[in-house]
Amino acid sequence: MSDEEHHFESKADAGASKTYPQQAGTIRKNGYIVIKNRPCKVFEVSTSKTGKHGHAKCHFVGIDIFTAKKLEDIVPSSHNCDVPHVNRTDYQLIDISEDGFVSLLTESGDTKDDLRLPTDENLLKQIKDGFAEGKDLVVSVMSAMGEEQICALKDIGPK
Amino acid sequence: MDDKLIKSAHTAVFKGSDSLEGICTRIEGYDFNQGVNYSRLLKSMLSSGFQASNFGEAIEIVNEMLNWRLSDEPIAEDSSEEEKDPTYRESVRSKVFLGFTSNLISSGVRDTVRYLTEHHMVDVIVTTTGGIEEDLIKCLAPTYKGDFSLPGAQLRSRGLNRIGNLLVPNDNYCKFEDWIIPIFDQMLKEQHEENVLWTPSKLIARLGREINNGSSYLYWAYKNNIPVFCPGLTDGSLGDMLYFHSFRSPGLIIDVVQDIRAMNGEAVRASPRKTGMIILGGGLPKHHICNANMMRNGADYAVYINTAQEYDGSDSGARPDEAVSWGKIRGSAKTVKVHCDATIAFPLLVAETFASKSKNLA
Repeated sequence: MSDEEHHFESKADAGASKTYPQQAGTIRKNGYIVIKNRPCKVFEVSTSKTGKHGHAKCHFVGIDIFTAKKLEDIVPSSHNCDVPHVNRTDYQLIDISEDGFVSLLTESGDTKDDLRLPTDENLLKQIKDGFAEGKDLVVSVMSAMGEEQICALKDIGPK
Repeated sequence: MDDKLIKSAHTAVFKGSDSLEGICTRIEGYDFNQGVNYSRLLKSMLSSGFQASNFGEAIEIVNEMLNWRLSDEPIAEDSSEEEKDPTYRESVRSKVFLGFTSNLISSGVRDTVRYLTEHHMVDVIVTTTGGIEEDLIKCLAPTYKGDFSLPGAQLRSRGLNRIGNLLVPNDNYCKFEDWIIPIFDQMLKEQHEENVLWTPSKLIARLGREINNGSSYLYWAYKNNIPVFCPGLTDGSLGDMLYFHSFRSPGLIIDVVQDIRAMNGEAVRASPRKTGMIILGGGLPKHHICNANMMRNGADYAVYINTAQEYDGSDSGARPDEAVSWGKIRGSAKTVKVHCDATIAFPLLVAETFASKSKNLA
């Protein structure tokens, strides 16, 4: 349920809000939610009805979309939670620098050089190997709350 | 031959007996021909037998406990100069520990307890978590009378919680949550900024201050500096609130070690005062008070009012004599267990003890 918006990430992201409020009771599994200021994908939601513990509550288990850490929160279902704006943008991979940064080609023809290689071992290997073999690679960059990370890889070259 | 048999049977049935006259109380109930006089009716219980007599004894023991002064005792050889002073000795009274289970606070007994704390007639209180929250919640919204036989599933779908034949709407707990979470936030702030280390009794005193309502026994306990101990603080709606609060604003610490120091200290530091225990129900409050008194080699007075039985070995059902074996009650103590639901026995007990004394104290 990610936003497939292809817009240009400008450095100065101020003005566009990073999150929007949504009632806790309406947030579903596989949606997004902010827990402890981290953007997370909702792994599990369980609701407890109103009772001795007070108002009905939603228990969220979320996975941080950047660090893959598990985070938990319990929120009254009528309260608002922050939901992060999560964007995925595809860029063509031009170069990998020695200090671990990637050089990407944006749609407008500019280069984007401020992104590091991903920490996920599998993805890292795929990118490095693919690039070394001279393949044409397109990376998907996920961005939320001012953070960005390469989350997927596509080989668009001829077979 | 038949004659001899008859004579032998006669001797067996009409065996000569010891005389009890003057040694034991005659059994005699209340005579309604004298009109309906409640005080005399209650006094007549002592001679009515069974639990009425136990109840009558409970009245006597509580009154003895309330009437005792240090000046009643011979001056001990190792007394300090202050302890020898007659005026001081006249002023030293028994220390009263009152314990009760949560269901009693859901019931109307809460108002009897409120009377006792309002007039500082007890010195230490021990209860379970419901005994705290039900008192506070009643200031926010009432509890209602229902019936034991109301079907559970239907009640659940209507958002009604049953406590025996009482009903507490879910809404009441929602109001409680809305009231208490900001207080926890403030307490967390004070923990960080002013290095306050919260304990169950400190938390409870704070809640008594915050509820600021004369119908709450905790309000009066706070005003009169009566410590209320609840070592099992997490086992109730209060605990649920702490649980949820810890997700949104983690870090609130509640120290039970400080409280056990304080509770046992109440017993240990009591001397030269005598100590008395009035315990309604069983469970944690009953044991916690008895255990603290063990630290000073036993309480001097003990009145239990509960419906538990001893045949299963439970502490709840244990009679005072079992506590004597542990040193929780002195061998010389005056004790009684009244097998009765405290909603009946306790208000009547207070009527004939604390409440009738206060008229004299006025």
